[in-house]
Amino acid sequence: MILLIQYMLVFTSVLMLVALGGCFSEHSGVINIGLEGIMVFGALGGALVMKYMPAQYGFVFVVCCILASMLMGVLYSLLLAVAAINFKADQTLVGTAMNLLGTAAATVIVKALNTAENPNNPSSTIQYIAAKKNFLIVDGYEFNWFMPLALILLLLSYVILYKTRFGLRLMACGEHPQAASSVGINVLKMRYWGVMISGLLGGFGGLVYITAGVSEWKFENGVAGFGFLALAVMIFGGWKPFRIALAALLFGLFRSLSNVYTGFAFLNSLNLPSTVYNMLPYIISLVVLIFFSANSAAPKAEGIPYDKGSR
Amino acid sequence: MGSEYAIEMLGITKRFPGIIANDNITLQLRRGEIHALLGENGAGKSTLMSVLFGLYEPEEGVIKKDGEVVRINDPNDANALGIGMVHQHFKLVECFTVLDNIILGVEPTGKFGLLKKDEARKRVLELSERYGLQVDPDAKISDITVGMQQRTEILKMLYRDNDILIFDEPTAVLTPQEIDELMQIMRNLRAEGKSILFISHKLAEIMAVADRCSVLRKGRYIGTVNTKDVTVEELSAMMVGHNVNFHVEKKEAHPGDVVLHVENMTVASRAHKNNAVKNVSFDVRGGEVVCIAGIDGNGQTELVYGITGLEPLVSGKIVMQGKDITKASIRQRSLAGMCHIPEDRHKHGLVLDFPLDYNIVLQRYFEDHFTTHAGFLRRGNIRKYSDELIDQFDIRSGQGSATTARAMSGGNQQKAIIAREIDRKPELLVAVQPTRGLDVGAIENVHRHIIAQRDAGKAVLLVSLEMDEVLDVSDRILVMYEGEIVGELDPKKTTPEEMGLYMAGAKRDTAGKKGA
Amino acid sequence: MNKKVSLLKKPAVQTLIASLLCIVLGLLIGYVALLLINPAGAWDAIQSIIKNFWTYSKHTTQIKNLGNTLVKTAPLLMCSLSVLFAYKVGLFNIGAAGQYVAGAGACIYCAVALGWNWVFCMIAAILAGALVGSISGVLKAYRNVNEVISCIMLNWITLYLINTLLAGVKEPTSNYTYSITKRLVVENGVASTVPNPGTVLPSLGLENLFNNNKYVGLALPLAVVLAIAVWVLLNKTQLGYELRATGMNKNAAKYCGMQDKQNIVMTMAIAGALAGMGAAMLYLTGIQQWSVTQSSVPSMGFNGIAAAFLGGLNPIGAIFSSFFIQHITDGGSYLDMRVYSGEISDLISSLIIYLCGFVFFFKTSLTNAITLREDKKLLDERRNKEGGKAS
Repeated sequence: MILLIQYMLVFTSVLMLVALGGCFSEHSGVINIGLEGIMVFGALGGALVMKYMPAQYGFVFVVCCILASMLMGVLYSLLLAVAAINFKADQTLVGTAMNLLGTAAATVIVKALNTAENPNNPSSTIQYIAAKKNFLIVDGYEFNWFMPLALILLLLSYVILYKTRFGLRLMACGEHPQAASSVGINVLKMRYWGVMISGLLGGFGGLVYITAGVSEWKFENGVAGFGFLALAVMIFGGWKPFRIALAALLFGLFRSLSNVYTGFAFLNSLNLPSTVYNMLPYIISLVVLIFFSANSAAPKAEGIPYDKGSR
Repeated sequence: MGSEYAIEMLGITKRFPGIIANDNITLQLRRGEIHALLGENGAGKSTLMSVLFGLYEPEEGVIKKDGEVVRINDPNDANALGIGMVHQHFKLVECFTVLDNIILGVEPTGKFGLLKKDEARKRVLELSERYGLQVDPDAKISDITVGMQQRTEILKMLYRDNDILIFDEPTAVLTPQEIDELMQIMRNLRAEGKSILFISHKLAEIMAVADRCSVLRKGRYIGTVNTKDVTVEELSAMMVGHNVNFHVEKKEAHPGDVVLHVENMTVASRAHKNNAVKNVSFDVRGGEVVCIAGIDGNGQTELVYGITGLEPLVSGKIVMQGKDITKASIRQRSLAGMCHIPEDRHKHGLVLDFPLDYNIVLQRYFEDHFTTHAGFLRRGNIRKYSDELIDQFDIRSGQGSATTARAMSGGNQQKAIIAREIDRKPELLVAVQPTRGLDVGAIENVHRHIIAQRDAGKAVLLVSLEMDEVLDVSDRILVMYEGEIVGELDPKKTTPEEMGLYMAGAKRDTAGKKGA
Repeated sequence: MNKKVSLLKKPAVQTLIASLLCIVLGLLIGYVALLLINPAGAWDAIQSIIKNFWTYSKHTTQIKNLGNTLVKTAPLLMCSLSVLFAYKVGLFNIGAAGQYVAGAGACIYCAVALGWNWVFCMIAAILAGALVGSISGVLKAYRNVNEVISCIMLNWITLYLINTLLAGVKEPTSNYTYSITKRLVVENGVASTVPNPGTVLPSLGLENLFNNNKYVGLALPLAVVLAIAVWVLLNKTQLGYELRATGMNKNAAKYCGMQDKQNIVMTMAIAGALAGMGAAMLYLTGIQQWSVTQSSVPSMGFNGIAAAFLGGLNPIGAIFSSFFIQHITDGGSYLDMRVYSGEISDLISSLIIYLCGFVFFFKTSLTNAITLREDKKLLDERRNKEGGKAS
């Protein structure tokens, strides 16, 4: 049971962080299909710090990992920002390209590093067994510092969106950019902020994901559709932070089952093949989308490039 | 303060790919006056205002404030110079409150950018009292009336201490009574020392409220006059370039059999939970034009959706020429002789990226004349047919049938739709705001076509927001208010004032609910 | 001068220029990546990606490897047709990858477990792809589910399902399925195989042109014919007229009585069928077996996106762009694995997709720039003419 809760909380943190990222981007008016690629790059940033930085620094080490993942996420998200905001590109196309590029580029980079160390090791795996221990709050349990941090980021997201000038302006850009622009708000700038915040949260989410119960990561595999699960969480959560957190909890539960179902006598007795548990999160999200897409509370102007001329 | 003018725009030229929107235009607004800017749709008024707000950068010309040349690169600059505007399409975020919309862009904040809404609320309430602009600061925009939305827009300007106020076609969405109120508000603002620019194409309103009037035509500056010194006819001639006959010539109507019979129709709304059309019944006969009048957003759109099949009915019955078509598909209705000139030509009426000829056959591409039995298009026939209609209806475009619909002017796009629908020989013509956004010549043309259908014994259901059009074209008027038909009027006997009372919900027929 | 300007305004010319620019930029960035990894071998590496089979000096080996590239071009072309067909109707079919998986699973299972003839195996693949595609279509049309997200979810679900299905026909000693030329027979719990060559696509004698590369056959000619068929369908038929109208303006399509929802479902079904058929074109040659432990969807469907956009969303253009994408993907396998990874080709093709996002902006800016210049000339002429008159 403890095991289930551990995994559930880890996956919930991941989904919540990434979905919040998507939420900021969409509230600014940009659909971020590329979250998957952003997660991969964030994970890569964190993994590289874990690989090269001596682990004995404890707290500083943890902070560096987190900052690296966030920085990589933000930098990578700029690919979307430039294309979608400045060049009015098809946001779905660019997001898709970013997902493919994320995995391909991360694989190329990791393989290059691995083969540079040892020409006979052309794998795309990074190991961080010792490094990972620094993240744990209590040794031996999968409760890490990322979880309280995710909670703080959730509260912060709520305050920023609903209580600050920045949030008011951001959401105005996603709902009615012409209105925002008419009162002197720089829509393009706000959209940059939205996308970059999604990069920050998505990148961090990527780091949390690759340290969830494992101590190495094969970058060829990307993040297995987690960015898209997060988008489903965001839709299910109605683009609102606290509802997103609850949605993430539900999805986190189903996702963790595939890791721990063998520990439950009840589930074992059902004798279902492991594939069922692997598919479960994807099936659940399809079902959720079926019921929550019809009357969506999506920001009205999302996905539409802002053009000064149109009124 | 060396100049008598608050704002001057001198020699403004603005081009877009394919059009010259403003060609050397001059506009001078005196301090403390109400100055009208008159011009037809497409005359360049909106472009000129966008230039004033820094949304567009003009290729040529200068802007002066109090005699000094200023550069306006974005709305912030305009705001800093004290220029504010109520846009024709309100710039309000629907899911925000009135207060949020007013403060957006100039939010009072404390530490960490946290909003200080209480402070703002107090100020808004003060202003609303001082100028008599009643609003509920905590109501959501999507829940309040159009009138209150407009007051929110005015408060936005006052909250920013603007002293140059621009009203872009502010009366289009208001009832006659609300228009009177707005005129009074504008006079109050002038008395408080504000300078007002009033953009309109409605001559009576300009004569009623403006001190001076500048006229634009087809992107060019025609001149500026004192309203005291001119007549409506003179102004109108300046606007369109020739004297126009305001009245539509038509013969007496000879209504025949009932073509469309609507019984207790109820249609749901996409926008809110209430029904948009509530239990409406009426008939339209052959040889008459029945007009649905009312303020925008009182269920006219949904009424048409229900009749044409774009939206299913919640309850009720529709009968066309004795056949129940309540459950019929759009295609079945269309084949039964229902033709529909839609409200929004870009949303429904045209596939903008198709060439003109493909748009011309949009309602009949599946006919044997245009498609072989194997399912291949007969492109030669399509082109020939399109060329014929282009000739017959004088549709102008760069490359004839091959022109992409997007590249055509609004008036010619509308002509194409009207040609397409009328050439199908309708039994019932449903025309929704068929003259929206057209210039005077084109409007006359559309009205002639509608009357011709009537005279040929066809039934016409016209939905219009324009009072003049309603009174001139129709044979019978049904007024809609909040989803119901509240009155039936005879255009020959009623007055705009009486219609206004019905449109505002202040008056309603209790007995004659059903028109016959 | 005037003639040149109007030529640049032509959509086809603009598309061609844009696609070539995408390729050049994509390769350039790929080269920079190679330089960063190891400057010494970078030039050779990018050359071998571009050269692909020309790396070999012997003509016969070249031609044989050209054959291999062509064999894989067929399924890629089908995937790109799937993507572009859906895109013309306003749908982004990122699910081509999953529909491809469904097709692969269906045809391999029908071949190995049921021993069907290749025609029926291919039909099974088409139907499986169409089924998966139409699920996304139904969800989009009737429940307003974003097709991109539903497609991704279905990609994973399909992958797991097909892995489970094909685990029943895998070789006992490996993770790969049996070759399709064998039929699996289970008697009294003992599994054995019997030869069953009828599952292989006919070669039409084409193998002789490619130095007896036995995998070359019906697939590519069939795919090219289908590309032309898709072009005809979209541009010459009533159905294409309806589908394109729906894609450009679904409100107008509904207004004039087209069945917009049915059209969406049908589009996704056809797109799925194309992708599923593509899988049959690859796996029924026997060139590859399916690994039932693969943990990610084959990249064929995603490369289809690259090929579709690089080909300017034109079925005929897709023939050439598919060959190019497959060419550099195969070229990636000639890299020195101790220094560079083969994924550099994936990197280049995903970069090309990214760059395709800029094509629309490129085209409109080009057109606008030309039009503005023409307008200015007109305006000046008008001013000059009226110069004498009073204003």
